[in-house]
Amino acid sequence: MRELPGVLQDLAAYGDVLLHVLGRTPAPDGARLPARAEVARVVERLHPRRMQMRLLETLDETPTTRTLRFERLDGALPPFRAGQYVSVLVSIGAVSTNRAYSISSAPGEPLLDVTVRRKPGGFVTEHLFTLVPGAHLETSGPTGAFVHEPLTDRGPLVFLAGGSGITPFRSMWRDFERRGMTQRVHLVFGVRTPREVIYHAELKALAARCPWFTYSVIVSEPTAKFRGRKGLLDAERLKAEVEDLQAARFFVCGPNAMRGLVETALSELGVPPHHVRRELYGPPSDVTLEPGWPDGLKGTARFRVTVEGHAPIEALAREPLLSCLERRGIVLPALCRSGECSACRARLLEGRVFLPSSARVREADAAHGYIHACVAYPISDLTLRLHPGSTLL
Amino acid sequence: MTKRYDVVVIGAGLGGLSAATRLAREGLSVLLLERHNVPGGYATSFVRGRYEFEVALHELSGMGKDGEPTGNTEYLRDLGVADGLEFVPVKDLYRSVFPGLDLRLPVGREAYTAALCDAFPSDADGIRRFLERVFALARDTVELEKTFASGRFGWRDVATAPFRFPNAARYLAVTWGHVLNRDVKGEAARAVLSQYWGYFGLPPSRMAFLYFAIALATYIRYGATYVRGRSQSLSNAFLAAFERWGGEARFNTPVARILTAAGRVTGVETEAGELIETARVVSNASPLTTAIDLLGPGAAPRAWLDRLGRETVGPSTVNVYLGVNRDVLAHGYTDHETFVNLSFDQEAHHAATLTLDAPPCCAVTCYNAVWPGVSPTGTSMVVLTALSRGEPWLALPPERYHETKARLGGQMLDLAERVLPGLRDATEVVEVSTPLTNMRFAATPGGSIYGFDQPPWSSTVLRHPARAPIEGLWLTGAWVQPGGGFEPCIVSGRMAAEGVVAARRKEARHA
Repeated sequence: MRELPGVLQDLAAYGDVLLHVLGRTPAPDGARLPARAEVARVVERLHPRRMQMRLLETLDETPTTRTLRFERLDGALPPFRAGQYVSVLVSIGAVSTNRAYSISSAPGEPLLDVTVRRKPGGFVTEHLFTLVPGAHLETSGPTGAFVHEPLTDRGPLVFLAGGSGITPFRSMWRDFERRGMTQRVHLVFGVRTPREVIYHAELKALAARCPWFTYSVIVSEPTAKFRGRKGLLDAERLKAEVEDLQAARFFVCGPNAMRGLVETALSELGVPPHHVRRELYGPPSDVTLEPGWPDGLKGTARFRVTVEGHAPIEALAREPLLSCLERRGIVLPALCRSGECSACRARLLEGRVFLPSSARVREADAAHGYIHACVAYPISDLTLRLHPGSTLL
Repeated sequence: MTKRYDVVVIGAGLGGLSAATRLAREGLSVLLLERHNVPGGYATSFVRGRYEFEVALHELSGMGKDGEPTGNTEYLRDLGVADGLEFVPVKDLYRSVFPGLDLRLPVGREAYTAALCDAFPSDADGIRRFLERVFALARDTVELEKTFASGRFGWRDVATAPFRFPNAARYLAVTWGHVLNRDVKGEAARAVLSQYWGYFGLPPSRMAFLYFAIALATYIRYGATYVRGRSQSLSNAFLAAFERWGGEARFNTPVARILTAAGRVTGVETEAGELIETARVVSNASPLTTAIDLLGPGAAPRAWLDRLGRETVGPSTVNVYLGVNRDVLAHGYTDHETFVNLSFDQEAHHAATLTLDAPPCCAVTCYNAVWPGVSPTGTSMVVLTALSRGEPWLALPPERYHETKARLGGQMLDLAERVLPGLRDATEVVEVSTPLTNMRFAATPGGSIYGFDQPPWSSTVLRHPARAPIEGLWLTGAWVQPGGGFEPCIVSGRMAAEGVVAARRKEARHA
């Protein structure tokens, strides 16, 4: 009987519930959520899947690098993070493909720059160098994790750039200046010859204007009369350049050879591994040199690749499956093309592929036979299941 | 019309995967359509550097204990989903940290009760009385659940319920706080008993007693587990089983519309314009998306839209994913799930989820405690979670988005530092997600993680049923019965599938 008042209290609550069920209660006080179209608009404003761009001007930075300056035609530029990239979609002949390029302008600027280095014979860069103002291009929205992380990157910052690896850093230093950052930044810029120094005028002006910014250019193949700093980004050089190796946060972006050198140097110098951020830099330049590559297998070996629903094609062991498929007109979504973002996730039904250590396949995906086609190399005849379409990417 | 299927399932979240697999198991031809390129919805993972982060799962309920089967484990085994999956038990249920209080709550009714009574001796009688209610209710609901999971919980069951399930009937209409506050007087004891409120989305004063009590009793009795390989392994196992039963899945394939004629489902149309013929659709999209966007103007009955308009969309989260270059276990940290609270006032904590102010509480989940291999040797994976509702994020000017994320992330890191000093300095990789991240990747209204809010009138049997008021349409996921959470989503898929199977049988009899 002691429970009776409680029971009555509990049952009385049925009144409330009944009113709700019968729809006699006014609409809830929780703010109404906007309709799906409104939500899509907000999300699309932050993370557009695609951006329609028009080339406004081209600026030759050095004999081999050019900045392409774009305006967005289908909306304002999204508020990205300095250091992120866009994936540029191109159709060259019958082939549709894309390449990731760091954004070299800062968030908040009205136009978007990418600075491209011309690689002789480079399938996409050669094409980009043929573009003239007025040309239209489609890109992904900005993406990528090579960014200054205000939550943790609190010490002095050291930017280690090799050649065209300087481009994301321009976005960062411009962003820092715009936001009035006072964190110390030192840029160590490795180039082969003084002619390759991209953005030199801007660097000089920035260093003169901003006490928090310093930089050195290190030339590896100097001419006889060159009087600046010479050498490579090795341990000795970094020790000379960086005051507090333990406190500094390092950002590394450059070609594979430079990255290898820098990694070795940083570990020799005892830099804590979690103080180093690395930009992704595409598939390995020669996959047959990667650890774990099957003994005796030549890069020129050919295998039969069958994609469900398509006729079999022939593939070279040394070429990523993604590129091989694209050349045959089979397009699947792709973004980073470096093994990390998982946009080109595909299912290996039969056969074997080689995945270098840069392939970041989810553990459960690896267990179920999924691969990232951008860094998967055929090492036997194989069969794939793809889900072409493209929604988030 | 290209091809005909017995059933088309829209969305490969856990509800969609569960329904699709159960239906394929039945021998039906099933097409599963998913807009993303990976199955699982929130039951997924992502990679940054050398870390692979769990997106959503904290503690999985309903996986039994010491080999003792539950309805859910039997179901997963029957579908062939359990093969190769390993569910690792979580040692303590949770650790509660408040100003001046730090308490670990163990698994097992006696141990759990003792821990609370020892910490709050003046409340001991009330705590025992309250937990007695919780467990009496849970006993009722074991039977209730069986009827429920059969997918045939009808009005007859509702009518006889007061006699078969007296406790469930008594507490159906009340909130957690209503019952708790009557038995337990101390605010600290109340707050610790209510600590899981974040797992259900509403504070004690508004959360349905039934749902909270059933879930808490299940956690206390069986403990919680984490799935080795992260929740992506559960999602992948579902997909693999689905395909073994002959199901066909397509990714990167968003659905634009569910086609109807004369109030019946006739097919679906993909965003790419492909038409697929089917008389039955199970939608893992939210009921709001399904009724308003997928069915299109005029197709959903007015009364249904009115009903949906009376619901509120539940909370989303801000998550801070941390790859930590330090083995926190080697430094003596042992807790999988820790709730750090700045005050006992959970109503105020809820109010904060409607703003972008500093979160007054967050969950600190260290997955290494349950599975050391979750991150490379010498490192740890820690995820911080604070509830946050979609509205303030939708109103935020886009150019302030990144700084707001960073500010909230920093405030949550400060909370976490109270139990993991030095966390910030040891952090190697950080990624912050917000309600907008959920909206972007899962297309969920408000970025909600539990579907609709779960007050008494939108919980358990009163929650939106799997059956939609359109012939041939069923719903699955957190938005519908039984409710939000990993296990409930799996059950919801089962309920939708059982509904489809029953409807087919009925039709076959008539034909």
